[in-house]
Amino acid sequence: MDALVAGAEAFIQVFRTAADVFVGFTTGIIPIVVVFLTAVNATVNFIGKERVEGFAKWASQEGWIYMPVRYTLLPFVAVFMLTNPVCYTFGTFLPEKHKPAFYDAAVSFVHPITGIFPHANGGELFVWLGIAAGVEAIGGNTTALAVRYLLAGLVVILIRGIVTDIIYGIMVSRKENA
Amino acid sequence: MQALIEKIGRSVGGVVGTLFQAGRDAVDLCLKTIIPFMAFVTFVIGLILETGVGDAIANGIKGFSSSLGGLMIVCIICAIPLLSPLLGPGAVIAQIVGVLIGTEIGRGNIDPSMALPALFAINPQVGCDFVPVGLALGEAEPKTVEVGVPAVLTSRMITGPISVVVGYLFALGL
Repeated sequence: MDALVAGAEAFIQVFRTAADVFVGFTTGIIPIVVVFLTAVNATVNFIGKERVEGFAKWASQEGWIYMPVRYTLLPFVAVFMLTNPVCYTFGTFLPEKHKPAFYDAAVSFVHPITGIFPHANGGELFVWLGIAAGVEAIGGNTTALAVRYLLAGLVVILIRGIVTDIIYGIMVSRKENA
Repeated sequence: MQALIEKIGRSVGGVVGTLFQAGRDAVDLCLKTIIPFMAFVTFVIGLILETGVGDAIANGIKGFSSSLGGLMIVCIICAIPLLSPLLGPGAVIAQIVGVLIGTEIGRGNIDPSMALPALFAINPQVGCDFVPVGLALGEAEPKTVEVGVPAVLTSRMITGPISVVVGYLFALGL
């Protein structure tokens, strides 16, 4: 009988702990996400689609000089303003040969951005939150981590854009020669 | 005069309407995606913390997650072009592994300095399942998609490990 009670106790304890964590997340994460989402949604609507598209046209020009713009600034604006998965429509403005690289850069940014701008990818927050919760539990500074995640993300997407551009170029020329 | 009042009234209404709609969208997203996923995630955390499962997992991922080399191995495996499209959908795998590693950081089994490189190491497959759709959203031609898909998948083999190193460098001094 005692064993049974102990077993039941252990069983229910899983859910008690889970519930405690759930309450922690609900009070810690949900309020700020809701308020933030509201503010950003409104900002995006006020800035308007035309202005964003004008910027996208400028940022998607060809040439090496535009690479940092094309693979960091453009994905950032796309993911920030349009959020996942609508952000990939910005590919429309790019020359055909740069579309795969832009997609690679944009899609690689949908998680690094969530540390500071959770609205951009609300459905996939726990890549960041999962790890951030652990860092917070031991008293680490999650804001500092979020800023670094964002900056590192920008560097990574620039590298991804450039590498994918090169690989795509090689694959296309091989295909044409074959 | 009446025109002025009408104009003011209309623009104020527009602003309030936009803000209200923004709030509605925000709450909608919370209720329909964030909270359901949170429920699932907290259940996993509860299981990890309260059962022996956590210790088994901890021993498994500790070896990989507590050194740069180990994270590189995780990253290269996740970036294999045959695996990456399977691991990608909805970032579910990345989110679960993120929670696992986060929980172990919280329990003191993994050094927090590994948090940033780990964020990149568990995620080289991001969007690998979505390349054709993503390119189609950008109105790419079928020819571009045909070459673009393998190009992105191949590129991840190179940029995945690089991203872990970038994460490691950015974590210095944290």
